[in-house]
Amino acid sequence: MKEQDPVVFVIDDDKMVRDGLQSLIRSVGLQVETFASAQDFLAAKRPDAPACLILDVRMPGLSGLDLQLKLNEAEIYIPIIFITGHGDIPMSVRAMKEGAHEFLTKPWRSQDLLDAIQKAIASGRELRKERQELNEVRSRFDTLTPREKEVLDLVVAGLLNKQIADQLGTSELTVKTHRAHVMEKTNADSLAQLVRMAEKIKNSPRR
Amino acid sequence: MPNRYSPPTKLQVLASYGLAVVLVSVALLVSLALQHSLGNPFWFFFSAAVILSTWFGRSGAGWLAVVYSTLAVMYYFTPPLHSFAVSVSEMPLFLAFVVCEVGVTQLISWRKRTEDALRRSRDELEARVAERTTELRNANAALVQQMAEQKRTEEALQVTRTELARVARITTIGELTASIAHEVNQPLAAVVANADACVAWLAREHPDLVEARAAAERATQGATRASEVIARIRSLITKATPEKSQLQINQVIEQTAALAAGQASRNEVAIELELAPELPPVLGDSIQLQQVIVNLLMNGIEAMSSVTDRPKTLVVRSESQKDGQIRVSVQDAGIGLSPEVMGRLFEPFFTTRAKGMGMGLPISRSIIEAHGGRLWAASNGSGGAIFQFTLPSGDGPAA
Repeated sequence: MKEQDPVVFVIDDDKMVRDGLQSLIRSVGLQVETFASAQDFLAAKRPDAPACLILDVRMPGLSGLDLQLKLNEAEIYIPIIFITGHGDIPMSVRAMKEGAHEFLTKPWRSQDLLDAIQKAIASGRELRKERQELNEVRSRFDTLTPREKEVLDLVVAGLLNKQIADQLGTSELTVKTHRAHVMEKTNADSLAQLVRMAEKIKNSPRR
Repeated sequence: MPNRYSPPTKLQVLASYGLAVVLVSVALLVSLALQHSLGNPFWFFFSAAVILSTWFGRSGAGWLAVVYSTLAVMYYFTPPLHSFAVSVSEMPLFLAFVVCEVGVTQLISWRKRTEDALRRSRDELEARVAERTTELRNANAALVQQMAEQKRTEEALQVTRTELARVARITTIGELTASIAHEVNQPLAAVVANADACVAWLAREHPDLVEARAAAERATQGATRASEVIARIRSLITKATPEKSQLQINQVIEQTAALAAGQASRNEVAIELELAPELPPVLGDSIQLQQVIVNLLMNGIEAMSSVTDRPKTLVVRSESQKDGQIRVSVQDAGIGLSPEVMGRLFEPFFTTRAKGMGMGLPISRSIIEAHGGRLWAASNGSGGAIFQFTLPSGDGPAA
């Protein structure tokens, strides 16, 4: 599957700033989409491509920080570069805690911004890759039967086949068969890999 | 100037009696000396003595002269001579003499009394007129002084008022600092972005001149906007005496809204402008009117600080009234005005803010009233407050 070109979203209520950013980012060969408000951004159809978001913190209506929370709630993970005319510490801390990628104050150095964009896109790409892998693993795990899932849980918990058979009230042979199916369906090469995948799925919320 | 009437002193009375005695004695001596050549001249000389005595010495001296001359005539000129008796044959002439003398005295002293009374009343009148004139003059002087004092006080008051308005403006500017920083940084950010973009377009392998030019033009616009912001702030701080000129109120509103935009967005407030097109110009001082609008905007933003359940929108409207006045209103969706607050809104130093000076609204009102308009507050239907002011249009009758 060929990856789409990365997109930079810009949300700022000031048209002059918006146009400037757009020109600047296009000049280095990146795609840009601009929005006058957070609401416009939420309402728009976004391409499924590696992306990053340049966001003004203070905006009338939905503020940048509000949008960040909304995106997090909706589990839309786009690296965010915050820009602000008057960055204050509590605001930066809040933004960073919520996973902001970068925090720049106006007027920023364009090189800093472009670097931040490149990094953000890279990390966005990384994030997408991880997520894709995760989704793959999850879809593989989804093919397990309920009985196989029970066996998997106990295997991951570190129990021996005999102990599992005792717990489930079945024979050791049956457990072995289930276990083989699990390894096959999840495409795990080893027990260690199986455990890692199971942990990953447990730790990340379902999309 | 006529002699002022004054009652005779004791010395004057004595002198008048002496004069009477002297005059009658002179008449006696002259009569005695001339009686042989003239016959009986006492008639003439004594009459003259009595007339003169009465004229210059008034009735007292006149009576003395009459008595003295009668006795002298009885003694020296009526037979029997050298006695105070008067013979029967001489009696008619003697009596006629006495009656004449008495009559003359009475007549003259009556005349004199009338004259004195006249003079007295004239003097009194003059004195009263002089007195009144002095009183009037003093009152006038006092009035002139009072007027000068009042003028000085008024001038001092005007200076104080101007200064207070300036201080209030500067205080507002202080509150607006974050807003101003935003206002200046915003165009600067645009300038930087556009200038860098311009360079980047030019630095490409195939320079894109169209893009570069557009970016450069936007950079120029940004710089212009930044300088305008600074000019606005500077004009707001300067200590200018009010200067009225024809101005478009919508322009003033737009400029002011731009000044407060940062403060608004900092508080997540959206300022909406609903400006009637083609309003007639108003005659006013743009800085002072900006000050009023800034005040109203800041109050509106402040009033909505605790609002979370509805959009924080500040609506600024301008419209033309039927009577030709122009009305500007600032409507918030804030906590509204309690009757207690409403009653005291325009009192100096009344404030609901922790850091407020309580001078914004009183100064705003005095500015609007100085422009011939009115400023008032009301609760709006949806819970917030609405502040409105009117201004006579520049080509209206009240201008």
